[in-house]
Formats: sequence, C-alpha cells, structure tokens
Amino acid sequence: MRAPLSWLREYVTVDATAEEIAHRLAISSLEVERVIDAGVADTDGNLGRFLVGRVLEAAPHPNADRLRVCQVDVGEGDARQIVCGAWNFEAGATVAVALPGAYLPIVDEPLDERALRGQLSRGMILAEDEVGLGEDHAGIMVLEDGPEPGTPLADVLPIRDHVLDVTPTVNRVDLLSMVGLAREVAALLDGELHPPAPDDPAIVDVESVDVAIEDFHRCPRYIGRVFRDVVIGTSPQWLRTRLYLADMRPISNVVDATNYVMHVWGSPLHAFDRSKLAGGRIAVRRARPDEELRTLDGTLRKLVPEDLMITDGEHSVALAAIMGGEDSEVSEATNEVLLEAANFEPLGILRTSERLGLRTAGSNRWEKGVDPYLAENAAVLASRMIVDLAGARMTGHVDVHDGLPERPVVRLRPERASFVIGLGVAPDEQRATLEGFGFEVSNDWDVTVPTWRARDVTREIDVIEEVARPVLDKVPYTMPLRRHVLGRLSKQQRLRRVVEDVLVGAGVSEAYTWSLVGSDPNPDAIRLRNPVTSDQEVLRTTIVPGLVEAARTGVDAGADDVALFEIARVYLPSGKQLPDERWRVAGVVAGGYDVVKGVLETLYAALHLELRVERGSHPSLHPGKAAATEAGWLGELHPTLLEGAWGAFELDLDTLFAPVPERIVYEDVLTFPAVLQDIAVAVAEDIEVGALVDAAHDAAGALLREARVFDVYRGEQVGEGRKSVAIHLSFQSPERTLTDDEAAKARARIVAALVDRFDAELRA
Amino acid sequence: MDAQSLESDALAAVAAASSVGDIERVRVEYLGRKSALKLALRDVRDRETGMALNTLRERLEAAIDAREAELSRAELDRRLTEERVDVTMPGTPIRRGHLHLITQIRREVEDIFLGLGYTVVDGREVETTRYNFDALNFPLGHPTRSPLQTLFLDEETVLRTETSPSQIRTMEAQDPPVYIVSLGRVYRRDTPDAMHSPTFHQVEGLAVDEGITLGDLEGTLDYLLKALFGERRETRFVTHHFPFTEPSIEALVSCHICDGSGCPVCRHSGWIEVGGAGMVDPNLFEFVGYDPERYTGFAFGWGLERIAVLRHGIPDLRELWRNDPRLLRQF
Repeated sequence: MRAPLSWLREYVTVDATAEEIAHRLAISSLEVERVIDAGVADTDGNLGRFLVGRVLEAAPHPNADRLRVCQVDVGEGDARQIVCGAWNFEAGATVAVALPGAYLPIVDEPLDERALRGQLSRGMILAEDEVGLGEDHAGIMVLEDGPEPGTPLADVLPIRDHVLDVTPTVNRVDLLSMVGLAREVAALLDGELHPPAPDDPAIVDVESVDVAIEDFHRCPRYIGRVFRDVVIGTSPQWLRTRLYLADMRPISNVVDATNYVMHVWGSPLHAFDRSKLAGGRIAVRRARPDEELRTLDGTLRKLVPEDLMITDGEHSVALAAIMGGEDSEVSEATNEVLLEAANFEPLGILRTSERLGLRTAGSNRWEKGVDPYLAENAAVLASRMIVDLAGARMTGHVDVHDGLPERPVVRLRPERASFVIGLGVAPDEQRATLEGFGFEVSNDWDVTVPTWRARDVTREIDVIEEVARPVLDKVPYTMPLRRHVLGRLSKQQRLRRVVEDVLVGAGVSEAYTWSLVGSDPNPDAIRLRNPVTSDQEVLRTTIVPGLVEAARTGVDAGADDVALFEIARVYLPSGKQLPDERWRVAGVVAGGYDVVKGVLETLYAALHLELRVERGSHPSLHPGKAAATEAGWLGELHPTLLEGAWGAFELDLDTLFAPVPERIVYEDVLTFPAVLQDIAVAVAEDIEVGALVDAAHDAAGALLREARVFDVYRGEQVGEGRKSVAIHLSFQSPERTLTDDEAAKARARIVAALVDRFDAELRA
Repeated sequence: MDAQSLESDALAAVAAASSVGDIERVRVEYLGRKSALKLALRDVRDRETGMALNTLRERLEAAIDAREAELSRAELDRRLTEERVDVTMPGTPIRRGHLHLITQIRREVEDIFLGLGYTVVDGREVETTRYNFDALNFPLGHPTRSPLQTLFLDEETVLRTETSPSQIRTMEAQDPPVYIVSLGRVYRRDTPDAMHSPTFHQVEGLAVDEGITLGDLEGTLDYLLKALFGERRETRFVTHHFPFTEPSIEALVSCHICDGSGCPVCRHSGWIEVGGAGMVDPNLFEFVGYDPERYTGFAFGWGLERIAVLRHGIPDLRELWRNDPRLLRQF
C-alpha cells in the first residue's frame, strides 16, 4: 500500500521526518519497501517558484490557432503574460503556475522566459503530470477557488511529497488504511492522532432501503445508503492527486470517493447504479448452481454455491467483496446510487478469489478479516463525499447485522511481558504503549482489545507482542542459560559427513538433483495431486536417474572426467499415509565398472567395512556388469542411458552404516612380520575371483590376513575358456612370527582347496 | 713387497683419483682380492709383519674412504648445481571433488550450533497436514494451506512447506530442555525463477527451556549472523508475523557488501533481511503437552539458499540445481 505523507499528516501531528517515520514503522509495525520521493525538487528555493495564479484574461494568440495568450495574477501586482496551449479554462480560473527558473520533475532544464510565436511567455500554467500530481495531460489543472493569487502552490497541493510503500503482515489488515498507519505513527513517535471526524450528511426526503442478508456468517453486516440527484463527474484536483500518489486511478467522483474512503478507513465500499437494481433492492445470498455474472472487468464468471453474491433479489449484481457486476456499474449516466458499506467473512472470500484467480484491492483486505465496526465510519465519510462532490441528496440508510462481535478482554501480567521480552519494561510504559495502539487497560490489567485487532489479539502472549513491538531494538542480546548440553552429531550424521568427504577426496563432486521427477521406474511411486509441471510430479524412489541427467549436463559442458554423487532422500511407498523416507547415497562416475568399484572400495574402507558384492541385475545397469551388495547396487550404467562407459551406484545409508564399528580396537600388526607369498592358478572363465578368495580364507583360517587378486591373465598357455588368476597372500599371526613351514602348509591348504573346489591348476 | 713404496704409490693414486669410479678402481687395485697387499697378507707367517701389514691396510682403507666421501660429496654438489626444475610447471594432477555450496553452508550452520550445544535433527519431508499446519497453529484460510502454494499428495498429506514440523516431532519425542537445529529440503508450489525455487533448504532452530527470552533469541541470531557474515556485522530485529511464533520478528544484518552505506544488494537500505524467527507460540506447547507457563522457547527458520545468494553472490537460484561442473568446481 502507498501512503503519501502529506495525507498521513492530516491524521497525525508528529515531529518526525519521513525517514524517521519509515524507520520506526519498519521496526515496530510493518515492512517499509521504500520511501518514494514524489513531486518537484525542494532545493534552491524551487518550491517557491510554484504559485497559485488567477487568470485575468485569456486571449487568442495572434500567430497560433492552438495557443492563447493569458494574463495571470500571481500576487506580484502586475499580471504575468503566459502563453498556454490548454483550452479547459477561461478568465477567472484559479490555476497552478510555475515561474521561470523552476525545475519541473519531468525536465532537466529550468523553465525560462521565452517568446512563443512572437509572444513572451513568463511562466507556465501547469497540468497535473507536469508536477507529479497525476497522469492527465488533456488540460491544465483548474483549482477550486479560494486561495489567493500568489499563495505557494505547495500549501494547496502536495507538489512535494514522500510516499511510504508499505506491506503489512497478514494479521495487520488494520494497517492497510491511512488511519491505521496514523495510529501507529502517533503511538510510536509520540504524535497526536486525529482521524477524520464523522460528519454524516442529513437524510432528506427519507425513503426505506431494502437490504436482506440470507447468510449472516458470510456477510455479518450490510449498511446500504441511497443517494439521488447524483451528478457523475471528475473529482477535484486534491482528490485526484491523493488517489494518484496512493497508486490508484481516478475514475469519477463517486467511484473515487469509495476508493478514497477504503484507503482512509480500510473498509472497502462499493457503489451501484441503483436504477439497475430491480426495485432498488439488495439481497445477499450464495450463488445458485450454474449461475454466471459478468464482472466490471468484462469477464463472464462461472459461479459455484460457495460464492457469496450481492443480488437485487432477481439477479446477481456483484461478486461480494471482490468485484462489482458490469450491468450495475456506476457510469456517467448514473443519477441514483446505492452505496454498500458491508462486512464479509474472510475465508469464503479467499476461496472464491483463489478459485477465480481474481484479487482486487477489496478482496486483499476482506480475505484478511476487516473490522465490522469500520463499515459505519466508511459509510459516513463516503456519504459526505458523495453529497459534497456529486451534489447528491442522501435519502435512505439501513444497517443490517446480527449483532457485532464483543471486544476480547485479556489479562496481562506486566512482569510476564518483561520476562518474555528479556527487557524490563515499566508497567506504566506498557500501559502507555497499549493505550497508544487503541487498547484499554483497566487498573488491574484487564486489557480490552480494540475492534480492529480483535481477530489477532486474543491471548496474553498476543498482548505481550504489542508491548514488545516498540522496544525490539532495545532488547539486550543474551544467550540461553544452559544446564543441560548435548551438542554432537548422531552416528548417522557423522558418517554421512565421512561419506561426503571420502567421495570428494576420491574425485567425486556433489550434485543436487530434484526430489520431484517426471517419472520414476517404480510404478507405485507417489504422485503429487497438484504438481506445478509434469516434470516434477512424482516423488523419486531412486536418485541415479537424476544424477545421469546431471552427468549429461557435465558432458555437454565439455567436461571429460565427470564424477557426481548425491546424498538425499528417496520416498518409498509404504502403504501408510506417509512414505518410507530413506537416506541414500548415489553416484555416477565416468569410467566403467572398475572405476565405480574402486570408488566404493575406498568408501567402504574409510568406513572400516569390506565391500562384498555378488552378481546382480538392475534396470539402470549393463546386464553383464551389475552387482548387488547388502546396502544397494553398483555396476556399469546401461549404455542406452548415457554414451560411453559410466559406473553407477546407489546405497541405503542406514543399511550401509549398521555394521560400521563404534570404535576400532588396536591390533598388533608390527611385532610379528607377515609372510608374503603369491600364487597363480588357472580356472575356468566363469569362476568368480571372489569365490577363489573366499575359498582361500576358508582353507587357511585366521592366519591368512589378506588375499588380494592382483592379475588376471588369459592366453594360449592357459588354454581356451580358462584364465590365470594371480593372488597375493599375506600370512600373519598377532602372537608369534610364522615359520616358513607354517606358511607353506597354509599355502598348500589353499592350493588344495582351489584345486578341489574349482578344478584349479597351480601355475606358480 | 715393499710396504713403504706400496703405501706411497697407493696414497698417490688416492690423491690422483678424481671421481667415485676412480677411487673404486684404486680400492680394487690396492685392497682387492688380488691386490699385492691382500696376497702378502695371505702369505704372512710372523705376527709382526702381519700387524704391520694390517695397520697399512687400515690406513689405506681410511684414506680411500675419506677420499671417496670427499669425491661423492663433490659429485653431489655438482649434481645439485646442475639439476633444476621450472618451479612454475604445474604438478601432477590429483583429482578432487567438491561439496555442493549448500552442503558447505549446511555444515557450517550445523557446526555453529553444535558449538552452542545444540543437536542436529533430521525431519521428514513428507508430512501430514496435522504436523505441517495444525500443530504449527496455521489458521484455516492461511495462504500456505492453499493448494496454490503447497504441494499435496492427498487431502491430508503435503511436502513440508518449512522445516518447522520437526519442532513438533522433536518436542513430542522428548521433554524440555530442547536445543535443536534441523536442516533439509522444503517445498513450495512456486514456478522457478531467479529468486524462487520450488525446492529449497531451510535451517530450523528451536530452543525450549525454563527462562528463555526474546533477548536470548536476538543474542543467538546475532551470534549466528556474525559467524556467517563476519564479526563486524551489526544485527537488527523488526516485527513480523508467523503462525507458530508470538512475538514474531525478522532478522536483518548490516550489508556486508557496502558496510551499511547502501548498494543494490541491500536495496540501498544498508540492511539485508535474512529470515524469520520468534518466541514459540504457546499453542505449540499445548499441542505437544509442554507447560507454557513453565517453559518458553524460541524458533527460527531460514533459507540456506538465501545465505548462499547473499554471501556468495549467486545471481540465480536455479544455478544451484544445474550441476554444471564449471559451477560446482568454484566452491
């Protein structure tokens, strides 16, 4: 919302600059997006070069059909000659004049005296856009009579202003109004609040107003007022300017009055052309099935029975609280007006506005819950303006409601407020703060909440927030006093960091890919009900596909050694309301099976685990190069997924971490040296080397500390269909030095087992 | 054999040797198996001659060893003067991966709070509306409850819109005191653009104990902001509104780019909004069965991406999901 300070200062007298006001509001009340400098510059006496003038004479220009030569009194004694191109005024008009030397906001050079088609022009008669007071350039500003020629223009119009651009939080709809903002400024900066005093026009030739509410829950209050002899026209300059500075478009006197009053009091209004209402009636009810309404933006709206409608008993004439209907819109031909100052329940308005995708200045306020008491203030001010601006007579008034809500009363303990804030705020100061915000505080601290805060402030803690708001920048910084401390990572969190660090050390970079994917290999994967896009509608059950995409990005970027991992959740259907969320680590690395196996061996070794795999299968993997392990799978990526040889893996972290030892116990590996021996055996091609190693361990028992395959050879000497496997053996006892004989016997047992179980042939 | 002339010949040869190779040849000639001295020693019959020859052998050995040491040292010196590398040549590349920037920030925040004696809690990402909204005091009609803003699995199940449900689950599982942070992915029904990502990361902090005050919250966040943005930063707290905190505040830090004098990063205000916080609303305590008179608490929930944007100048949040190696390598 835009709040011109010149307007705000009409409701609050305060000795504070725009910056001070913005600063204080930003701390204690609402977000101040910015302070806009509006209008003409205020340097080097520039403001003094803008004056009120009276046109004494407006004669045709001797040399130009479109221009006139005017004599204008600007209080200097002699009249000034000013050449002017506008025709919307005659002699006698009160106008705004800029003298030579004045800087206008729209041009860089100062105005100078010059001859226009041979006639000297010693100044300029101003249009509203030339001084930042509007957008209209059809004619010059004709001011209301009153101010004497020579009066500084700044006394009459806000040609120099600051405009606050503010956004209240959703609980502070009361701050979407000039009076609400003025109240905050008065309370926070020790100002004096004076909201517009009620000046209700008298009802003449009284007639009854027929308003019926069918749904008091959705429409708790409806004030209807009737005006006759309405003359629709343009609004006076001061009103046009205020609306313009507040970022609203001037339309016509009656519509402008409703917008203006909404801005003043925060309670939106609507004006109907009463002649378009059947019988001049208003009936508030839900929409009928299949009902439609063309709103005044020209759109035909399909309605549902949840929508609240303003009708004339026969047809809908407005989408309540959101937008009027086109048929009953106030137009230049209107001469009877029905003014609506009502109140609407927020949730229903929000639902309709969301469903239709239609948000307006009105709905933005209603959906946050407007104080129903404000309807009367708004009706009174708008009525005064319609009577004064449109020459109307007010002939009818009705106020329909089913009782207005009570104001909440909350007991405050001032010492509790000081405790929660962490700052001693004197009880007197708390009382003064609350009263400034419009609360009433009894002697024994019963706090009566003002009507405009009744939705938001219902408990002691809510009142404490009111006490805290003004002192947020005075609260001393402290730390909690701790008696119990437990600051450490869990085993899983600690090991997750190990996994990250080991993979990074192994040359694998961490990628972040989306949890939401377009499709997932698991047909039961959970789907969103309201996805934004079809490529993010399923909760993934596997991470690798996302990493494959990421790897492709890397390849496309020209990288030749792409290696990526990710630690993230997958979401497995559980048959219950919530899926089984599992932490996984997955990776995609350039290079084939050997590379990914090496990466995982490094990872397992860092976790003090042994990577044991068996032949497996996985849709993402090359069928001949796929392995399964207890925690998941690894292998070479299926060649249809990504060009070239790529390793991939995906492991469940809980399963991976379960066997990780809590601590490593010292083992003596130094005192008694290992006896190292290598063997080479020839076996059939389909025998897995892992089976040979397992058999060696079985046969040699604890003495065999390590058996590691270091070479596989195929060739003529080994024979067709066979391979020679070279295994490095390390025998060691923690208790004694092994004799050559002991090692030889263990080796012999291994060879015998390999020959026996695998038809192996000892080659070395 | 004339021992005297042998010795003088040998010493002359030692002195004449000009390389380690020369001295080896001298050693073989005078002390080798077929040398005159060795042959003479083999034929020695009397003790006196034997002692004399052995002393001679020792003297020759010492002279040769000394000369050899001298020569090899000279050779080493020569080699050291000759051998040079171009020290500006690159080294043998050793491949290194990179942690994602958000992970680095996540760990940094975790470590700050571990240092303050907090534990780290992993929350769920798929949540019930009961935990994501009801327990957190979201009123009916709150915009976040709308399917326009939140991703729904079904009527009562959502992707968590903030890390705050972990507050509820933690408090349900334990008695006070509670000092936790919870970091992870959260989801909003946003269309991705430079400043919005439908998936992003938050850090949630929660402290519940006897005697916790708004001052403790401001002090803790001041500590966090200085740790993240530098000890010279100033902090400021302004009013805000969230369903789950009362009073609610927003934290601002003095701009680290312009030091508060005004620049585009801080929109010329000198201050940067970092995130929301507040005192835990008593309704949350009632939901989990804590006594709201005895215990007070504070909570905050900040976006890690926001920290990345502010501190590292990330111009577009989508970059963080692009996984381009050129980008990942920077951090």
